[in-house]
Amino acid sequence: MSPAKISPRVIELDILGQVCPACLLVVLKQINENLEDLRNKNSQLLVRTDHRDTTRTVPAAATKMGIAVTVRKVATYYEILIGGQL
Amino acid sequence: MKNPVTADRGEQQYLRYIRDKTNQLLKVMGTEALREEELDDQALIGLDPIGTIAESFSHILDYLNETISELRVAKDELQAIFDATGVGISIIDKDYRILRCNEKQRAMLLPGADDVSGCYCYDAYGKRSAPIATCPAKETFATGRQAVTREIIKQGKYFQVVTTPFAWDEDGKVTTVIEVSLDITEKKMAELAEKEQREYYLNEKSKLATVLESLSEGLLVVDSSNRVLSLNRCAANILGHDESRIAGKLLPEALPGPAFMYDTPREIINGFKLPYIAPDGAERHLSVNMAPLLDSGTKWIGRVITFHDITEEKKQQELYHRTEKLTALGQLSAGVAHELNTPLGSILGYARLLLKQENLTQQQREQLAVIAEQAKKSSTIIKALLSFSSHGKPKQCRLAECDLNSVIKNAVCLLTTELVKRRIKLVTETTTLPKVCADAWGIEQVVLNLAMNALQAIGNQGEIIIRTAFHPGRVRLEVRDSGPGIPKEIQNRIFDPFFTTKPLGEGTGLGLSICAGILNENGGTIDIASSDSTGTTFVVILPSKESLDA
Repeated sequence: MSPAKISPRVIELDILGQVCPACLLVVLKQINENLEDLRNKNSQLLVRTDHRDTTRTVPAAATKMGIAVTVRKVATYYEILIGGQL
Repeated sequence: MKNPVTADRGEQQYLRYIRDKTNQLLKVMGTEALREEELDDQALIGLDPIGTIAESFSHILDYLNETISELRVAKDELQAIFDATGVGISIIDKDYRILRCNEKQRAMLLPGADDVSGCYCYDAYGKRSAPIATCPAKETFATGRQAVTREIIKQGKYFQVVTTPFAWDEDGKVTTVIEVSLDITEKKMAELAEKEQREYYLNEKSKLATVLESLSEGLLVVDSSNRVLSLNRCAANILGHDESRIAGKLLPEALPGPAFMYDTPREIINGFKLPYIAPDGAERHLSVNMAPLLDSGTKWIGRVITFHDITEEKKQQELYHRTEKLTALGQLSAGVAHELNTPLGSILGYARLLLKQENLTQQQREQLAVIAEQAKKSSTIIKALLSFSSHGKPKQCRLAECDLNSVIKNAVCLLTTELVKRRIKLVTETTTLPKVCADAWGIEQVVLNLAMNALQAIGNQGEIIIRTAFHPGRVRLEVRDSGPGIPKEIQNRIFDPFFTTKPLGEGTGLGLSICAGILNENGGTIDIASSDSTGTTFVVILPSKESLDA
């Protein structure tokens, strides 16, 4: 019997209406606080933003720290899911 | 006390400093500067932007260090693989200079060389002044694709070389290739040795085939189930079939004989005399040898059968025995004839003398006539005996150049009356012949004797054909009659002295044996060529004069 898979804790960060680079600073602060959990995928950071530039700056910074990032467009905003190792 | 204006200005300066440094750091992060309307001072201080970015930089640095460590390990691993691999690897630039090569490459091609970096590969590896036409690196630089050369010689060794593009310039042109060389010298040497060995075996096979084909003996090779695997030309000639018709046949079909020939395949049989009927119906006599065929491990895999045609040899032997018998009989006959000739002469002489007396009664006259007639008949037999014995003796024969066709013509003249009387047609089919060196009188006797035998065989009404022909070195005379033929079972006895099929008192049985004797003296032979219900053909062979002169 294989061990039960534990779902990661999802930290939601709603920064709709904010623009870069303020968005980047907010997300970096969250990443810094949860770095190990995010790398180990114990946690995932779900960022909601409607500022397109954020979908470029956040993944670039996160991947430089060795954390996996995916971006998807949801209705009128973007969801950036941060967590897991590259 | 603190001056509020000074304090406020100081705070403003501090915030400006924070914003400037934050923007400086954000620029490093690859994003634009903060606008005050987006993030007021209080919110900015609350975010601790410098601390946040510094901490992020710290994480980035950690990750970078981890990555560098991993890359270093990976590089070491790759270097170990590069050096430990069993193939030679070189990295070559577009000028064919060696950028790097692994230990294997160095050991294979440059033993003792410390560093070949910067050397031209064609010089370092092949002692050449330029890349060869089949250089795979050349092809890869030209095509941008992987190239394989199955066999390339470097430093006297054989290599299989693969080149793969490794780096490209901005225009997509290959600037560096990785060349992988696999040393195939051992394989190549093994291939060459195998090729040499194969050629050796093919040569040996060819030699053996030539030897087998040139054998004057027939040869058959059969497998363990008695099936013919191969045969030589002589075997096909003796057996009277094409090689293709014999190969694959079972031995009893190819060479029919008694069961023991096939039932004891592991035994050696030497000189077994085997009668064989050829496809044309001719009976041949073969001397057969059989031996088991073993492979290199002494495993029995079949048999080798050799044979030769001893038909002529057998005939010669029979002739020899007949001659010997004739000689013995001749000596005996000569003695007897000599002893009887004198008293018989007296009997005949006195009988004739008495017959001349006039006071004889009719009965006495008749009785004396019988005595004289029987004595004369006996005298004829004695003459024949003496003639026979004279041919059995070794003597100096008076041979002279003569024409066989003329001899035949003379003999035929003597038969005219008898032929007419018996209504027998005599046909002579002569061809121009070279001279023979023979005793013309003796040969005429032979022709006469054969013709007389033919007459007697036919009886009345029939045909006799006398035919001559020339074969290289010899002339041939055929006498064919349309008589009833000679039974097969007595054919081998007809040349024996005193053997006759005629009623008692009608033949001496010496005719053919005298013919054989005459021909023997003349260096010729006589034999039955054929005999069946349609008639008999006798064949006489005499050597031509040229062949004797030669």
